[in-house]
Amino acid sequence: MVQSAADRVFLPTKNLLEQVGDMMILTGKTLVSALRPPYPYGTEFVQQFLFMLRLCWLPLTISTIAFGYGAPGLQAGNFLVLFGAIDRLGGFFVLASIREFAPFVTAIILAGVGGTAITADLGARKIREELDALQVLGVDPIKNLVVPRFLALMVVTGLFNIYALIFGIFGGVLATLTFDAPLGPFFATLLNNASTTDLWGSVVKTTLFGAIIAIVSCYKGMTASGGAEGVGRAVNQGVVIEFLGIFAFNYVFTQTLLATHPEISVIK
Amino acid sequence: MEERRGDGGAGGPDRPLDPREWEESRGGRPGAGAGPRMTAEPERGAEDHEYHWHTGAKREHGAEDAVEFIDVVKAFGRNRVLNGLNLGLPDGQISMILGPSGTGKSVCIKHMVGLLYPDEGDVLVHGQSVPAMADDELFEMRKKFGVLFQDGALFGSMNVFDNVAFPLRQHTDKGEDEIREIVMRRLTEVGLAAAAEKMPNELSGGMRKRAGFARALVLDPGIVLFDEPDSGLDPVRTALLCELIQEVHEENGGAYCVITHDIMSARRVADYIAILWKGRIVESGPARDLFNSDNQFVRQFLSGEAQGPLGME
Repeated sequence: MVQSAADRVFLPTKNLLEQVGDMMILTGKTLVSALRPPYPYGTEFVQQFLFMLRLCWLPLTISTIAFGYGAPGLQAGNFLVLFGAIDRLGGFFVLASIREFAPFVTAIILAGVGGTAITADLGARKIREELDALQVLGVDPIKNLVVPRFLALMVVTGLFNIYALIFGIFGGVLATLTFDAPLGPFFATLLNNASTTDLWGSVVKTTLFGAIIAIVSCYKGMTASGGAEGVGRAVNQGVVIEFLGIFAFNYVFTQTLLATHPEISVIK
Repeated sequence: MEERRGDGGAGGPDRPLDPREWEESRGGRPGAGAGPRMTAEPERGAEDHEYHWHTGAKREHGAEDAVEFIDVVKAFGRNRVLNGLNLGLPDGQISMILGPSGTGKSVCIKHMVGLLYPDEGDVLVHGQSVPAMADDELFEMRKKFGVLFQDGALFGSMNVFDNVAFPLRQHTDKGEDEIREIVMRRLTEVGLAAAAEKMPNELSGGMRKRAGFARALVLDPGIVLFDEPDSGLDPVRTALLCELIQEVHEENGGAYCVITHDIMSARRVADYIAILWKGRIVESGPARDLFNSDNQFVRQFLSGEAQGPLGME
């Protein structure tokens, strides 16, 4: 009885810690494989990059405009109108869109659309023993499958962040127009408050989100087991872990950025 | 179930009969008559009832071992799949690992190529320890192997031709013309020349397996492993595949290891047979010796009879 209760608590915790450890090891191996010659992953990198672009651009466009218009745009706009300060909406968009929402929406779309596709693809290959066959044929799956996905997701997530910023701010423009306010003050406060630190912080953060998504997706795909059901389970677990990882990493990154660059906290 | 154990039914034990009970009822002795060349492993936990039929008899095969398992233990969670496995696969011969379902045959293959590592013990390929190899050495060592996986394991993004050409493009400097010639020769051998441009999802299970066979052989590897090559094939194609395995082996030599349940395939092609049950070898040796073994478990398994020590448990 006691043994069974202990097992119920201990085994899942042990399993979780083992998985986290395995993902750390995979990250290390991926970095080493990416840097060490030979570099056979060029074609696969381009294919994965284009695949992610094709898969994610439309969901990301819709999400960023809708989210920018709805949450920081209309909600904050309603609040600012009360104080006759709708011109401050641009400044608020630096905080909302550049630092938080654009990276978040980008990461969520990339994890939900791209990450799941990677897990499902690698999971299906694992179930069909394709990954075993690759290894037996002397091909390193980390160098040939994980590294290109890792690099492609990092690059594409960073670039998509810029895209999300543009369309997120476009949502803010729409919100400003909805309140019949002029756009000049919106852009004036936006550019007054925005700094290069905000921009590079946003891009670096999103690029690292891409790395988290890639590692988790590849790990869950390459360790899928139990047939088609196992692939579904891996996809589900993968996306949950990615979201948790993104939220946790975002907290650490934002705190570090604010602590090391206190000037970006000053509202101008 | 107890009726199926035949003579053991009187005692009514809900367990496999031990050799003494069985042989007493038959007037014999387990493992007897194995001949003067037979060597036996030291007994491992004779009190362990599960392994009463495992005499561990290794009959001489007169060749070097290409692959050796030494006291290999492998568990998945609480399930011990290999439990002190000792096995040698002779070079230059076609070996067969036979055994009931779920007894660890495919796990053996994965240990040979370093896809799985033993929890205890060692696996040697041409005298080199697989678990001790660094990743680079492992990838190099795997080039010695050709493996036919259960479902062919073709790459879904490539057509049949590219699948078979993949090892040549990956590991050789051959030109495309030469690659085409080799690939088409292999595909013709397995009867798939007309399907070269088809994608794997357009093939039947048997065709995928034959394409996987062609890919496994395309580099003329020194050790070829076949994971149930006959499953999903009709009897005629199974016979043809066995014939092909023999022909290719005669042509190329090397150590071939076939995992199968099919006794007819074993009779057709095996030079050497190892019977695996509950993670250990019951007996192993040249095929003709095993087919004449006095071990009741071996006899039951190789004759495919319902009556005998192996039940449904």
